[in-house]
Amino acid sequence: MPGVSSGGGGGGVGTAVSSPPRPFRPSRYVPVSAATTFLVGSTSLFFCFTCPWLSDSVSSVVPVYIAVIFIFTLANFCMATFMDPGIFPRAEEDEDKEDDFRAPLYKTVEIKAIQVRMKWCSTCRFYRPPRCSHCSVCDNCVEDFDHHCPWVNNCIGRRNYRYFFLFLLSLTTHIIDVFSFGLVYVLNHRQQLDTPHAAVTMAVMCVAGLFFVPVAGLTGFHIVLVARGRTTNEQVTGKFRGGVNPFNKGCSKNISHILCRAQAPRYTGRPYMHQKMEVQPPFLRPSLTEAQLEAKILDNGIQNDRHSTRSKSSLDQMESQSADAEAPPPPKPDLRYSGLPPADTEESSLLTEAPPTPSMFKYRPPYSSPGRNHSALSHSNKMIRGESLDSPCPSILKSSRQPSYRSEPSSLDGVTLVGGGVGVRRGGGERGEGSGGPGGAAGGVLGGVSGHSLTGRSYTSYPSSLVLSAAGSRSSSLRSAQTAHNPLATLQSEGTTDTSYKSLANQTPRNGSLSYDSLLTPSESPEFESAAHELSPQKPPGPFPSSAKAGQPKLVSPSSPLKGYTSPFLSAQIAQQREGQLLQGSATFSSPHRAYLRAVSPPPPTSPRPPEAQHLLQYGQDLSSRALRNTSSLSSSPGARSLEPPISPPPRGLSLSKSTAYTGETGSQYKLRPTGGGTMVVGGEVGGGHQAPQSTFRPVLANHTISKPAGGVKKVTGVGGTTYEISV
Amino acid sequence: MAETHSLQDFQRPAVSSKVFIQRDYSSGTICKFQTKFPSELESRLDKQQFEETIQTLNNLYAEAEKLGGSSYLEGCLACLTAYTVFLCMETHYEKVLKKIARYIKDQNEKIYAPRGLLLTDPIERGLRVVEITIFEDRNIGSAR
Repeated sequence: MPGVSSGGGGGGVGTAVSSPPRPFRPSRYVPVSAATTFLVGSTSLFFCFTCPWLSDSVSSVVPVYIAVIFIFTLANFCMATFMDPGIFPRAEEDEDKEDDFRAPLYKTVEIKAIQVRMKWCSTCRFYRPPRCSHCSVCDNCVEDFDHHCPWVNNCIGRRNYRYFFLFLLSLTTHIIDVFSFGLVYVLNHRQQLDTPHAAVTMAVMCVAGLFFVPVAGLTGFHIVLVARGRTTNEQVTGKFRGGVNPFNKGCSKNISHILCRAQAPRYTGRPYMHQKMEVQPPFLRPSLTEAQLEAKILDNGIQNDRHSTRSKSSLDQMESQSADAEAPPPPKPDLRYSGLPPADTEESSLLTEAPPTPSMFKYRPPYSSPGRNHSALSHSNKMIRGESLDSPCPSILKSSRQPSYRSEPSSLDGVTLVGGGVGVRRGGGERGEGSGGPGGAAGGVLGGVSGHSLTGRSYTSYPSSLVLSAAGSRSSSLRSAQTAHNPLATLQSEGTTDTSYKSLANQTPRNGSLSYDSLLTPSESPEFESAAHELSPQKPPGPFPSSAKAGQPKLVSPSSPLKGYTSPFLSAQIAQQREGQLLQGSATFSSPHRAYLRAVSPPPPTSPRPPEAQHLLQYGQDLSSRALRNTSSLSSSPGARSLEPPISPPPRGLSLSKSTAYTGETGSQYKLRPTGGGTMVVGGEVGGGHQAPQSTFRPVLANHTISKPAGGVKKVTGVGGTTYEISV
Repeated sequence: MAETHSLQDFQRPAVSSKVFIQRDYSSGTICKFQTKFPSELESRLDKQQFEETIQTLNNLYAEAEKLGGSSYLEGCLACLTAYTVFLCMETHYEKVLKKIARYIKDQNEKIYAPRGLLLTDPIERGLRVVEITIFEDRNIGSAR
């Protein structure tokens, strides 16, 4: 019986060494004690009262056979009860410290061409591997989690599922044996039913008969599960109801996988042997070629504060590099993404396999091969950077705002620092703690798209900067976006309502660029918008000439209802004056988002729908989940409201809701590639342009609003020590 | 700061950062780590060395999880002895884990420690990540 026990958090038998001690709850031991009593007691009575006659009358093999079966049952019962099911130890602090405020709730990996979502476990501080689940009773993440069984008072997971399954089989056999031989005895003692032996035998038969029905039912259920290669958890949550199970290897392989696989090792309670390694400088260094050095320098631009090296020429160089394997230098305003030097933190390296990440998506058609990730990542990074360069590039180049340009990465860093305290990303996300409040909510809403793709260093402070800079934004679009967000929140089964900080972080970079005030002239707005179009993945590098974009399909038409989006770069007055143009210009500013958004949904004419639908869905999932996760203690509607003032919801809010709904329908967490329906839904909802994926962005952008704090100047400190004042 | 303390010269240098090599789930839930070369190590380690290390680890884990004759026999023996054999005998997986631990120690001694890096056995992290600790290179004077 899938024991979804609510008997409190008493320490289980398989408790990890690393988990904190829990109070002793005797109620947890009642079922296992009862099961043990019935099993041992009934069998003992049977041996005492029935077996002597059986050995005499039928055969002496009978008691031996029953004893063997009973011992086998007992051994499996003990193994299922006392064996560590595969508990993951809590992750160390170092593992996720870079992910704080930035990490999405979900990361997606591709297993045999099927998208599988990995959820962040706030208790254990890591992204749960596929098939892993957190047991609330034991308060541990268990590998290949099947269920928590109250009858053995233990989780059933990878390590002990075999013993549990064999226990069920042997117990069913044992019950059948006891009942049958008891019946034989009773049938042969019909005239002596008043003797104690017969009475006891009949009592044992009653117990056996009583337990036979549920035990046999459970055994049959697990036989089906083993044949299908599913866990109880997957079966009852309907993960594969409408989809394909990536873990299904075929019936015989599934069975051999369960029964014949090597005993998996335990992760907790291992004898830890400290590595006594002498690590003393001087350290050897690999010899670097010139190109490598150059690439390295450019890569580390943000951290090394080499903003001064970025100039028009470097921009051109970056563009030309877009086809190279080297990642372009950290770009400009929306550079947050680009800022992510291929710095592979735990998150980014994981994300390289995540299809939803727009950057990855663009250049890596199949996300299956990790070997390709490196170049793909650099490509995608390049693209992101190139894209981010696109929109501001024309005006930046025109205005020759090198200082501002230079400062952007710093602003990114600065934002990171400032925003560090705004909201705890997942810290309380799942539990609804979220200290981020409005800032966190805003960040969460927007962060979904861009945030989870790359190292989130620059994401962190987004919420704060957005809050500061978005004071005067129109909130109406936000509200509409928020309402779109609500279904997301409700659909989220995890029930997290935190907003994703990554979305906030995406917009953060803009904060530091005061130069954008002058950049956003009416004449330039269309360029920005056209530049924004340039951000779609298909556009080859070389996006600067805005005129070239004129001929391209406008993903966001000037007339699109981009209401209320105000670039944080603009001063309040300019924003007010140029509201209409800003809407379009904001499209470019939101390019980081859009870069990702577009990455996820490449121009329809040329790209196949299913992949983009798939990624859109996953992306939407990530966004929605992240947004929901980060909206700490807010329910869906309050969360939406809290999102209003500071930030607009993720550009994909609408698409997210639809994609989530679509996913919800299937009841499956796993998305297949050819889910064109999702795209259709998304596109249709937006009211369809010919380019459904892009069309989804219109309302998104329309809803993209940044509210600004009333007047004042916000100081953002960059990593390099640079301080920028954002006029609001 | 390090120069003012002579003891620093005899102590392990400060940890600069940590790189986490994630699991590669593209082939399912078998234990396999990504061979993608992290950028933080670019200045410290050759790509080929890193990939070779990870690939060897992957091969060792594949050997541990192999559904072969030895694991099957082990299971049968365990069944027959009511699993008491686990009290005296080491499972196949554990044997390979010991082999992996020896390999990692060897790699650390030969390749990683001289470069200011330290591999952590992934079993300590529940086989979820390979943790590479990057130590600060005081000679250069900047944390990497």
